[in-house]
Amino acid sequence: MATVVIVDDEPNVLNALRRMFLNGAIPPALSDLTVVTFSSPVQALEYVAGHRVELVLSDYRMPEVDGAALLTRVRELQPDAARMIMSAYTDLDGIIRAINQAGIFRFVSKPWSDPDLKAAIRDVLAHRDLLIENRRLADELRWQRGVITEQQLELQRLERESPGITRVRWAEDGGVLLQD
Amino acid sequence: MTTTTVADTDRTTDIAWIGALYELGQKAANGAHPQEVLQEILGHIVRGFEAESGSIALIVDGTEDQLEIAAGTDLPLGVIGSALPRGVGVYGHVVATGQPVLVNGEAAETRLPLRLQEARQRATNSAMCWPLRVAGRTIGAVAVNRAADRPRYTAEDLDRGQSLTSLLALVVANHRMHVEREGRILELSTLNATMQRMNTQLEDAQNQVVQSEKLASIGQLSAGVAHEINNPLAFVLSNFGSLEGYLTSLFGLLGAYIEADDAMAAAAPAALEPVRVLRNRVDFGFLRDDVRAIIDESREGLLRVKRIVQDLRDFSRGGSEEVWETIDLHRALDSTLNIVRNEIKYKAKIVRCYGELPEIECLPSRLSQVFLNLLVNASQAIEDSGTITIDTGADASEAWIRIEDTGCGIAPENLGHLFEPFFTTKLVGQGTGLGLAVSNSIVRKHGGRIDVESELGRGTRFTVRLPLTQPQIEPLCEVTQPAQAGQRAA
Repeated sequence: MATVVIVDDEPNVLNALRRMFLNGAIPPALSDLTVVTFSSPVQALEYVAGHRVELVLSDYRMPEVDGAALLTRVRELQPDAARMIMSAYTDLDGIIRAINQAGIFRFVSKPWSDPDLKAAIRDVLAHRDLLIENRRLADELRWQRGVITEQQLELQRLERESPGITRVRWAEDGGVLLQD
Repeated sequence: MTTTTVADTDRTTDIAWIGALYELGQKAANGAHPQEVLQEILGHIVRGFEAESGSIALIVDGTEDQLEIAAGTDLPLGVIGSALPRGVGVYGHVVATGQPVLVNGEAAETRLPLRLQEARQRATNSAMCWPLRVAGRTIGAVAVNRAADRPRYTAEDLDRGQSLTSLLALVVANHRMHVEREGRILELSTLNATMQRMNTQLEDAQNQVVQSEKLASIGQLSAGVAHEINNPLAFVLSNFGSLEGYLTSLFGLLGAYIEADDAMAAAAPAALEPVRVLRNRVDFGFLRDDVRAIIDESREGLLRVKRIVQDLRDFSRGGSEEVWETIDLHRALDSTLNIVRNEIKYKAKIVRCYGELPEIECLPSRLSQVFLNLLVNASQAIEDSGTITIDTGADASEAWIRIEDTGCGIAPENLGHLFEPFFTTKLVGQGTGLGLAVSNSIVRKHGGRIDVESELGRGTRFTVRLPLTQPQIEPLCEVTQPAQAGQRAA
């Protein structure tokens, strides 16, 4: 069960994308997806800070925070969440920033083609699974060879399940800081 | 006395003779060729004084006493226009003193530049030489000679000649003024033409600046417009896909109901009755078919909008990023055709005869600009209706794209100027004269060339030839990219 967060300041785009995800008639079918949409990047970041997400798909040009900045922040919050940008505006500087800073997996130009976009999302999710699986196996190997301790392994498992849990920050008064 | 008889019949006293001289003077003032008129006047004077030969020497403009032979009878070829030695001989004396001279006997030699033998043959017995004076200034001299076997001139002849030669002097001066005035007029009109040409060039340059500013703002504008259109277009297109899916499901559901119709009719006929009435009224079969048609037609329209916006964006990006790409030229041609199709479609039919083209290495956006220029030119050459044919093909080393129109053609004298910047036969405001110049520089940058064949009234064929691969990936810098050239130099 993967959670996909979509951010675009245009609600009609969000509705269209939600329909596209749910419409199994358009191949390839994406099963087992939870789609969460935000027209405000700030609210989207609040959500990502508190929930595990597998993919964040963001528009590039938005008021408040642009797509590259948003995904850069997402990367800090949940390094394992896949990131995609879509834009109607091909501004080379923006794309470069999105790739270098936000480490995006794909750039999709608007208007998109539904089958292509769905295929891209499926690929991105599969790629992400593969990366995580690779790391898990590598960690297991390291543990077997005694390079890392069981405690570290457990920490990484926890972090995968609930992003941010291993990096809890304490306030001066001993309280837990959930967000920054 | 015999001399008296000569004097009595002397034509220099003849009214008709004077009248003729005056007419020759008029002829000179009216701008006839100076050499010929002077020669005629001299001939007239020589006949008037019953001389065997004569000559006119004039002071060269801008000098004090440099004489030059301006006319002469019986003179060898090449003597006219030659300079006389300064201050010597009869001519020198007459010009220096401003007084006429009568020479009788062996000394009668005006020091014309003759070879010794010629001089002997022309051994003169009697000669007269008068200064030509205008407004107190000596402008030259005229001389007549009689051979040794003829009666000598007298002082009376010299006096009579004095008044006639002042007329000649006036004629010469008039003529000089005329020539000078003509020269000034010519100079002024040349100057004027130069100024006009410079003015036109300045205007063209200004237009070009305005044009490039315009293009730059069109580029910015279209990028902005593309963004604005793409967003709604994106969700409409996507919704459309969903809608199609939903409709397929709905019609599937309805189809299932209709198949179950008979069974339902048996079970609950009363409940089914209003459904049947409604079904007949809405003409279910038509609806099902027409919804499919509406979906297909609307999708086609949407895809067309998408393509136009895409083309606009591709075009507006042109030049800002110079990236060599290996592309299918047919795609570049088609996308350019999409941009100009609206402009062309009312005037010309477009025939595409695409041959086999391998993908070639090029600057796609710049080549699109070339195709655009050629297509717009072709369309503008066609007055009412015609055909634009696009052929393509390739051999082992190069690809060619031929754009041929059935328009008005290009005059042979203009063919050589086609690729010169600012050369245009279009009306002011319709063309900057840069389209082909820029196209040519783009094609040359690719290591290719543009060939033109044209026949007035029949049409024009432009052939763009491009090498399949580039010897080096780095763009060759040209005048059109001063910034890049600068960077390369640095």
